Amino acid sequence: MGRLSGFLVTLRQYGKKVTTEFPKEKAPRPARRHGRHVLNRYEDGMEKCIGCELCAGVCPARCIYVRGADNPPDQPVSPGERYGFVYEINYLRCIHCDLCVEACPTEAITETKLFEFSFTNRNDAIYTKDELLVGDDGRARRLPWELWLGGEDDDTSEWMRVTSPSGDASYEGRVSWSGELGFGVRPPEKGQAQD
Amino acid sequence: MKPVGMCRMCLVEVEGVRGFPPACTTPVTDGMVVRTRTDAVEKIQEGVLEFLLINHPLDCPVCDRGGECPLQDQTLAFGPGESRFVEEKRHYEKPIPLSNMILLDRERCIQCARCTRFAEEIAGDPLIDFVSRGDRTQVLNFAEQPFESYFSGNTVQICPVGALLARHYRFKARPWDLATAETSCTTCSVHCRGAVQSSSNRIVRLLGVDLDPVNHGWLCDKGRYGIDWVHADDRVREPHLRVGGELREVSWPEALDAAAGEIRKVLRMHGPGAIAVLGGARGTNEDAYAWARLAKGVIGTDHVDCQMGDGLPAEVVLGVRRAEIDDCDRAGAIVVLGPDPREEVPVLFLRLRRAAKDLGVPLFDCTPVGGSLAPYAAHVARRVPGEPVGADVVELAARTARERGGPLVVVAGRPSVAEAPDATVRSIAAFGALDGVDVRVLSALRRGNVHGALEMGLAPGFLPGRVTLDAGREWFTQRWGGVPAGRGLDADGILRAAAEGRVHVLVLLGADPLLDHPDALLARRALEGVPFVVAVDAFRSESAARADVFLPCTVWGEQNGTVTNLEGRVQRVARRVAPEGTAMDDWRIASELAYRLGADFDLATVDEVTDEIAAVAPAALGATAALVRRARDGVVLPLREHLGEIVVRTRGLSILAEEGAGTSWDPIRAGGAAPAGAPAASGEPAPRTRRRRPVPARTRRRPRTRSSTRTPRASAPPTRPRCTSGTVRQAGPPRPRVTRTLCAS
Repeated sequence: MGRLSGFLVTLRQYGKKVTTEFPKEKAPRPARRHGRHVLNRYEDGMEKCIGCELCAGVCPARCIYVRGADNPPDQPVSPGERYGFVYEINYLRCIHCDLCVEACPTEAITETKLFEFSFTNRNDAIYTKDELLVGDDGRARRLPWELWLGGEDDDTSEWMRVTSPSGDASYEGRVSWSGELGFGVRPPEKGQAQD
Repeated sequence: MKPVGMCRMCLVEVEGVRGFPPACTTPVTDGMVVRTRTDAVEKIQEGVLEFLLINHPLDCPVCDRGGECPLQDQTLAFGPGESRFVEEKRHYEKPIPLSNMILLDRERCIQCARCTRFAEEIAGDPLIDFVSRGDRTQVLNFAEQPFESYFSGNTVQICPVGALLARHYRFKARPWDLATAETSCTTCSVHCRGAVQSSSNRIVRLLGVDLDPVNHGWLCDKGRYGIDWVHADDRVREPHLRVGGELREVSWPEALDAAAGEIRKVLRMHGPGAIAVLGGARGTNEDAYAWARLAKGVIGTDHVDCQMGDGLPAEVVLGVRRAEIDDCDRAGAIVVLGPDPREEVPVLFLRLRRAAKDLGVPLFDCTPVGGSLAPYAAHVARRVPGEPVGADVVELAARTARERGGPLVVVAGRPSVAEAPDATVRSIAAFGALDGVDVRVLSALRRGNVHGALEMGLAPGFLPGRVTLDAGREWFTQRWGGVPAGRGLDADGILRAAAEGRVHVLVLLGADPLLDHPDALLARRALEGVPFVVAVDAFRSESAARADVFLPCTVWGEQNGTVTNLEGRVQRVARRVAPEGTAMDDWRIASELAYRLGADFDLATVDEVTDEIAAVAPAALGATAALVRRARDGVVLPLREHLGEIVVRTRGLSILAEEGAGTSWDPIRAGGAAPAGAPAASGEPAPRTRRRRPVPARTRRRPRTRSSTRTPRASAPPTRPRCTSGTVRQAGPPRPRVTRTLCAS
């Protein structure tokens, strides 16, 4: 057998699927992968972003540009006085560290699991608020140049809920996160209270 | 402001005193033992903060103060980690307008009374106050009387929370994305120190910085909120050239060549007298100096005026003994001849009000029309418009100053442009003729850097450094290669000459005579009579729109340099944002034009210009870029330590009282010995009135080659030959005239 034992290893792999045929399909993603951002909305459709620029302030790559503005009183964009008037992320700079998600006081910005980016010019790499904001179904807008195949936008706020509040995974007590358009108040993660 | 102990954050433990007195209202006594960080004090401070936060909303993320909030900082440093209060907070309607500019968010107010105390004690506009009691206590304006104070913006800056908000800045930026540079506001001639802040290359805010000799940290609303124009859409961003009757965008070389070509042509055909320069009070000292050098040293015209017929004659401004603003505080008496300081030089009004009201300095309000200072004036003596101050008032002010033993500060400016400056000049002269009183003048002129422009020689008959044409002829001919042959025309004269077709090239340095000159008809005829107008401006003003060449220049916030305020204090202004379009600094435009006219200034950076001024202009001797940068409060010219190198002489300002018609003052004469009994220059601090002779010529001639055209810098030999008054004596005035000496000493 001696010299053939090596072939046995090869034979054991035979028929197994190891290569995924990207871009036709994608390998499964870890639940908390950091990918393209979304700007969430409340259940009533209001934007969660209040334009406070904390995400821009904390961003180590300085890829976020936010400008706040006074909410129009008759047609408020977000609850409160201020809303994010301009919101831009430059994906040529973003390192997907998720510090913006941690800094956000209203859980407005979270990340999907989409990480494949391809642009033909630098301007396209800057996502504007229109592109980042979730659609009326509460899911990330599927932009024509993006490759959404699996459930990359299923649990966009997962990471945030796990660490909320104070990063305590075994959180016991009242749910303190807000509801989301299309999903309502999401249930706690596994290992947290309320199961 | 007086301490009131409203916020209770400074409770301390004092040995032998029961309870915890607030430090701010407890005077220090001999042998007092104060403990600030004992367990008990910490517990009490924590409790105070918890109380302050009971009703304070947690909307820090959307609050303009979030990130620079004293309450945030205090809570972080001394506060409890968590609140024990679970009750609903007090709610009010979110920001309500107190005025067009100020918004109030009553939920955030912690009732420290800083704003109400400022409005009442500092600004003298008690338009806001506390109403209601208990947890409903709130600051409000009175019914149907908005908080329209000229100084309302200061309350926003001193508010320790985000209760008072500026409509102008609201939601524009967050503190952490602001880039800051310390600068001076050049909206008026007081030059309050401020910090200009920008976000994403846009100037968004100006904050007052406490400069003790000038503004005490305050700004007026005009300066604080009048900053949007820097990025206005109608800024001219590219040079323009008139082609076929239309202003067309061209490149810089094309525009500069066109301007220089026309100047060269007119010089050849009509001589330097056919070229005139108006304006220059808008830029920095460096801009003014470079333009003065171009106009007087290269072109050779003296038809240069930075004032638009709305100020005081340069002889008066540069000739009188100048007061510092701080002199008001220790003055024996203050006389205000006009204008209304609150309208024209607002922060000077705060200083005058403080001197009169809080420090008890008798103030004489001699403005023709009642103004803001009347309530604080010891004596109100309205003068008839166009008439000088009565002799009785002069005598009373002098007696008061003598009795109290302090300088007599005269705040002098044009009360209105409808009135000729004669009355003001004669009033100054009347005070100047007083014996035994130290008379000092604060010239309250209305243009931003008009004093700097005057000092840099942008006035007929003057050269940089408070030197007359005749006195500085030798010195500046060696440094510049030439100076004008004789005294030129002022703004009125230039416009009149232009209307008569005697001006062939008119350069407008940010000047808009159509809108700004008191005689708009004359300005219109003048601009129609000039065949070629060069506008160096940031905006296409009514006058600049008629330009044949438009050269866009940088403005405040986009340029580095120095400026000189009404007391002669030189401070740095800082560049915080990149210039719009391809706008160029004025001084660079001047040196580019000079190069095309055959003279090489050899100036590459703005600091080199500052250093050249410090080496060439006698009054500015030693005020190098490095020194001005180091000096915390700026430097007041002339520098005391350089008095030994320049000859300081008393030079009388003569008022030709009998000649009557027209202007009635005489240029400061170059010659003349110091009057007998005058204190030696090297003695006590030189009074500002004492004129200095230009440093005598050194043997070096102005070289022509580029490699060595550089004018002497601050590194010039420290021991300059001292010029005695005898050697510069000139013949006295030929005609008999009644001369009164302005300068007391």
